[in-house]
Amino acid sequence: MKFVNIYKIIFAGFILSLFSFPRASAQPVPGLDENIPFLVTFGKEGDKSWGDFNFFQTWFFAIPKDFKERFYIRVFDPDTGGENDEQKGEWNTKMQYSVYGGKGVDPEKNEESRGITRTGDYKSGTLLSSRIFGVDPQYDNKYYTFGPFIATQGDYNERWKSYMFKIICDGISGDDGNLYRYFLSRDPNNDVPIEGANAFTYSYCFRMWNDIKSVSHVYPYIDTGIVYVKQRNFDWDDDGEILVVSRVRRGERVPVSGQNEWVESRIPIESGEVGSSLDFQFHKKQEYLVRNNNVIISLENQRGDAIKFFPAPIGGVPVYEAKPVYKQIKK
Amino acid sequence: MPRFLKYTLFIIVISIRVSSEASCQAPIFDVKPLSFNSPVFSDIAPVILKDGILFCSDRRTSSLSLITTFNDEHLYNIYFAARKDTSGWEKPRLISSAGSPVLYYGPLCLAPDGKTVYFTSGILTGKAAKKKTVINPRGIFIGELSGTSINNVRPFEYNNPKYSVAQPSISRDGKYLFFASDMPGGVGASDIYYCELINNKWGPPVNLGGKVNSKSSENYPFIHPSGRLYFSSDRPGGLGGLDIYYTILNNGTWEEPVLLPPQINSASDDFAFVAEESLQTGYFSSNRDKKNDNIFRFSSTIIRKVKCDTLQINSYEYEFYDENAMNFDTTLFRYEWDFGDDAQAEGVKVVHSFKGPGKYSIRLDVVNLVTKEVKKNEKTIDLKIKDVEQPYISCPEVCKIGKQIKLNADSTNLPGWNIKQYYWNFGDETVASGKEVNKAFIKSGNFNIQLIVTSLPDASGKVKEACVSKNINVIR
Repeated sequence: MKFVNIYKIIFAGFILSLFSFPRASAQPVPGLDENIPFLVTFGKEGDKSWGDFNFFQTWFFAIPKDFKERFYIRVFDPDTGGENDEQKGEWNTKMQYSVYGGKGVDPEKNEESRGITRTGDYKSGTLLSSRIFGVDPQYDNKYYTFGPFIATQGDYNERWKSYMFKIICDGISGDDGNLYRYFLSRDPNNDVPIEGANAFTYSYCFRMWNDIKSVSHVYPYIDTGIVYVKQRNFDWDDDGEILVVSRVRRGERVPVSGQNEWVESRIPIESGEVGSSLDFQFHKKQEYLVRNNNVIISLENQRGDAIKFFPAPIGGVPVYEAKPVYKQIKK
Repeated sequence: MPRFLKYTLFIIVISIRVSSEASCQAPIFDVKPLSFNSPVFSDIAPVILKDGILFCSDRRTSSLSLITTFNDEHLYNIYFAARKDTSGWEKPRLISSAGSPVLYYGPLCLAPDGKTVYFTSGILTGKAAKKKTVINPRGIFIGELSGTSINNVRPFEYNNPKYSVAQPSISRDGKYLFFASDMPGGVGASDIYYCELINNKWGPPVNLGGKVNSKSSENYPFIHPSGRLYFSSDRPGGLGGLDIYYTILNNGTWEEPVLLPPQINSASDDFAFVAEESLQTGYFSSNRDKKNDNIFRFSSTIIRKVKCDTLQINSYEYEFYDENAMNFDTTLFRYEWDFGDDAQAEGVKVVHSFKGPGKYSIRLDVVNLVTKEVKKNEKTIDLKIKDVEQPYISCPEVCKIGKQIKLNADSTNLPGWNIKQYYWNFGDETVASGKEVNKAFIKSGNFNIQLIVTSLPDASGKVKEACVSKNINVIR
């Protein structure tokens, strides 16, 4: 319950900063609006059909240059084993969390840093902190805190007027699934958001709720110049429907992948969607419950550039605005 | 068939004839004699120029001499009267023909080049023309007008001493020359003919046939740029003496001539009609006032609006749709519309016909077929249906030639107007006034009817005016 109350406090902070593009308050990862229970990363011997493809996941945090205090990256349930994680056989998985700063981190300047695949220098930047977790009851269902850090340790991005940091969760061994969350915080022991900070990833691997009524969301930001996006989703197990919603799109169906397969499709972007976020809604199958469904989704634009997902959608959660109109039929 | 005449059939022209069927007829012409008309001599056959008119007159060329034939018939000369302003004229100047053997200068026309003049004169010249017993037939002569003189005069190739060929009128494209002639083979007395210019040579005269020509005399042809051929005839059925008629070539056939209205025609001789391109103004000759002929100017009082809205039929049928949904697949949603008049429909795009004007609140409910979520009354459209504010023409869209139809303006919707007049222009140069009028079209074709409504002056003296138009197809 305490956990929920903290989220409420954070949510109030979010509301205040929703309109401060490109910044938002996105300290919880996954975000509140996403309604995603956990991020998922499997050990590198994991079975892809269980929902992870690369066995690592990269997230970025942007710290406003004006933020002079120390900050922390808190990881909830960083270990494998225990309450939340997905066991395959015996618990045998080790996860390495590595925090990077300095030059080479900023994914807008260094494409390899985006961490979509293991190719290239996806661990670019200066390693600021790292720790390996295995079966570690001490951190099961609890936080581990990286830091303190200060903004200037990051890689400065002029466009965002922020310093970029990167955290990679790497399944260095084993085949179990690690379910976890991040929180960017001003406090090492509590989740206290940093105003104007942000988080994003280019390839989102997460756990769906074990509840057919729960709808999860991800919010890619449609930047200027995007004509269409190509979405790719992996291992959806045909679990319901993926709908794309925006201010001008009531809900358009996107092909859903089956077990251990990628499915991709192209989504033309309307002018009214540029400069705002899309809402990819994941509606679970209603006929029966697909349990422990781990999925991946990524987007790229018409030039093949990967598109960011923000846990706190830039510009706020896009709400479809019906525009009923009428036209007189002339005789 | 002359091509230029085909092309000009549908040109909208103004004012010539008023419909006898109109309920309440306003006078459509203002007719006035020209100020330079001679009180004792004849002035006839005007030709419109940019800066004045050419005309023929048998007035004295000097105070000392009056040229006549041996039969005491006055000889005509050509004069030019320059226009001073909209109503005034300068003193006419004689157009001379130094060195020309012709003695008589009669009705004429000017070719499109503005220089070549076709005029009427006696064919015989010199001593032969001076014999008392000789009858000098008229012929057409061609010369070049330069200033106030006609030079290089030469005869028209179809002049013939055995009959007259006279009163030329050339088409705007210069390819057709109309004239009057009593040549053998005609319908009777003098007939109207035309020649076509082929390879720079006038082809043989063609009689316009029995509809235009009659056993009586037809003369003074005038081919207007619109394709209308005006002429004079003393045939039965007119108002007396020579009367002015017009005809037009329709599908290769000259139509039944139409008698011009009383303001133009009279019980006396009325002839030599010419009109400006707009047909709003023009001239004709008549001896209605005195024994001698005079030139009269006419101007139309028919109102025909250049800008007139097309009649909008009141429609209570509306299409509804979610504009933002039109570019996307909407199969995952069910759109439920409630039109506020106890009618509903389903669909992204629906059409509904309301019973009539009124206020309607249209509600859209959307059911998400994936989540089963229903968004009730997502947005409401407040629709106010009103009849179009306009004068309204109620009449059939098709009618038969000669059959009387009723037209009314009962459905006119001009709130706040204190209407003074309903004025109808039927598009066939006939007009009427009244809220309800009767009309019988005497020709087939498509006609554009205008209804012009004017209000009484309001408190500030302002008069409002609105015009709508509607097409009617008159069939045989």
